[in-house]
Amino acid sequence: MLRYTIGRLVSAIPVLLVVSLVAFAIIALVPGDMASEMAGPSATAEELQRLRVQLGLDVRGLTVRFGPWAVVEDVSFAVAPGEVLAIVGESGCGKSMTALALTRLVPEPGRISGAVLFEGRDLLTLGEREMRQVRGDRIAMIFQEPMTSLNPVFTVGHQIAEALTWHAAMSAAAARAEAARLLSLVEIPNAAERLSAYPHEFSGGMRQRVMIAMALACRPALLIADEPTTALDATVQAQIIDLLRRLRAELGMAVILITHDLGVVSDFADRVAVMYAARVVETAPAEALFAAPRHPYTEGLLASLPRLDTTAERLASIPGQVPPPFALPPGCRFAPRCAHAKAPCEAGLPPLLPAGDARAAACIRLTDYAVAS
Amino acid sequence: MTSILSVRGLTKHFRGRAGLFREPPPPVRAVDGIDLDVPEGGTLGLVGESGCGKSTTGRLVLRLIEADHGSILFAGEDVRAADAARLRALRRRMQIVFQDPFGSLDPRMTVREILEEPFLIHRIGDAAERGRRVRRLLDAVGLAAHHAARHPHQFSGGQRQRIGLARALALDPALIVADEPVSALDVSVQAQVLNLMKDLQRERRLSMLFISHNLAVVRHMADEVAVMYLGVVVEQAPRETLFAAPLHPYTRALLSAVPDPGGEKRARVVLRGEIPSPSAPPSGCRFRTRCPLAEPRCAETVPALRAVAPGHRVACHLA
Repeated sequence: MLRYTIGRLVSAIPVLLVVSLVAFAIIALVPGDMASEMAGPSATAEELQRLRVQLGLDVRGLTVRFGPWAVVEDVSFAVAPGEVLAIVGESGCGKSMTALALTRLVPEPGRISGAVLFEGRDLLTLGEREMRQVRGDRIAMIFQEPMTSLNPVFTVGHQIAEALTWHAAMSAAAARAEAARLLSLVEIPNAAERLSAYPHEFSGGMRQRVMIAMALACRPALLIADEPTTALDATVQAQIIDLLRRLRAELGMAVILITHDLGVVSDFADRVAVMYAARVVETAPAEALFAAPRHPYTEGLLASLPRLDTTAERLASIPGQVPPPFALPPGCRFAPRCAHAKAPCEAGLPPLLPAGDARAAACIRLTDYAVAS
Repeated sequence: MTSILSVRGLTKHFRGRAGLFREPPPPVRAVDGIDLDVPEGGTLGLVGESGCGKSTTGRLVLRLIEADHGSILFAGEDVRAADAARLRALRRRMQIVFQDPFGSLDPRMTVREILEEPFLIHRIGDAAERGRRVRRLLDAVGLAAHHAARHPHQFSGGQRQRIGLARALALDPALIVADEPVSALDVSVQAQVLNLMKDLQRERRLSMLFISHNLAVVRHMADEVAVMYLGVVVEQAPRETLFAAPLHPYTRALLSAVPDPGGEKRARVVLRGEIPSPSAPPSGCRFRTRCPLAEPRCAETVPALRAVAPGHRVACHLA
């Protein structure tokens, strides 16, 4: 009986091979794959992969709905290979949900629409298995509280090696050696010995380093870091940002940094997208944004920060609070809190319009700004 | 300036319990002999990273936990020597505001009940008088009279912190200990609450012990600043001095670690390692294990907090 079963299986192998090859060819040729279209039929696999990587991430009209309410609405941005994009905003603006939507990890009953074009493929159309390959392999994520993402009953070495055996198909010994290399890459002292330590034996900053090491295991092209330093002390935060900056330069990976901390943004990001009430209201190169914000919300955020270099008697504050997704005001969502709001602001949602060098803002006063600058 | 609160040699070691077959763990030296002065009508900012003992200090001052050693003088009165009746009277004049207003507000009580409670405990006024006072408090913190009938969960974080402030102000205190009062708030709301705290301080001549890990917030609020590291004060100075010319290597590193959006890029001092355990602090200077300037003598002698200029004290052999 057993021999018969094995025999049937063995004889099925060629059939399976042919079927999977055909399936692979079909997948490779679906019109969604921009890279293969651009490369043409004569391209080698290597050329194709290089082209894919160059395409980076291009998010178009990303929307996440929970029932009738959009918590992320019509969000578009692009991240080039090696670029650091910061998505900033206050709590409830949709920045973390945007990060989850990119990797299709939005909790039920959330629904994602739009397009997430990553290395030439729309991640929103991939099957669950392919998506699992992308996650961890090409896109890695780290979160605010590493303790909740680490398994307390396994050693750190085991958890890093698991990612390697799973995604990189390494042998156990090779995975362990690679795990040690990764731990020293993120500057954990005595890396080889620390492999057999459990997560609770690490401090907060060291745990975040472990998370980064795990994220780097498969050399991702994109690292999504959701408030990676928020739970850390200032001096440790500075260490982690320095580490991320070094790794970005050495490994050439792109980073999406989700944060509410404008200080961290100014320290690390190349570009910034500012979110307010589920929408992107301004996007600009980091330096330009801090030098001259174009959207009144960005302006208000920057003005409401207490400064280290000057003393003001009062802080400029934005009155009121962020509206929840089920009670959005008509027209521009920032209008009720905006010092410049006029009647036309309530007429409709202002579109994100070009506002100078590589920047855009969603404000009907944009023409005034253009005149002023 | 006279001080409303003077703390000398304040010490608190938390002791773990011994097991049947286990020796007691070494005590956590949370606060280890600190001196502080809160100026009357002004604000002392107490800044430091997690585990430095700043929150413990705030609770010791109010005797929410009991100190091991040291003296606490509030308006000339010895707080540690006060009996239960005296302490209750003292606490009318010293109040605390916590970081998480949701954790410190009873979810089953309405805002009116929360704000009325201090008057009931201290037997102040009849029902009508208490109602008037609650309305005045709500008005003072920028909430509307109709908010009194709601429960804490119906408010946003910023509004809850306003309720926490209103409760602290109910008995017209002279001193507020504010423990990370805006750390849980978004920046736009944080600015509203900080402005409100400054207004209330001016109107009511409040003195404040303002505890925070956020240097920029402390700079905005405080007249004097004390920097804590591992249970000790390493530097204390008037605000402008501390931020313009910090002397302790830890203060410098802390300042340089905070990125200032839109500000000048400063030279970064990145510290090695992390804060050692407060149950086994390094010998000599506690900062020496992370200090870029440490010398052999730093491991041998504890640097005293000494005056280097009027009002500016620093605990470093090299400063």
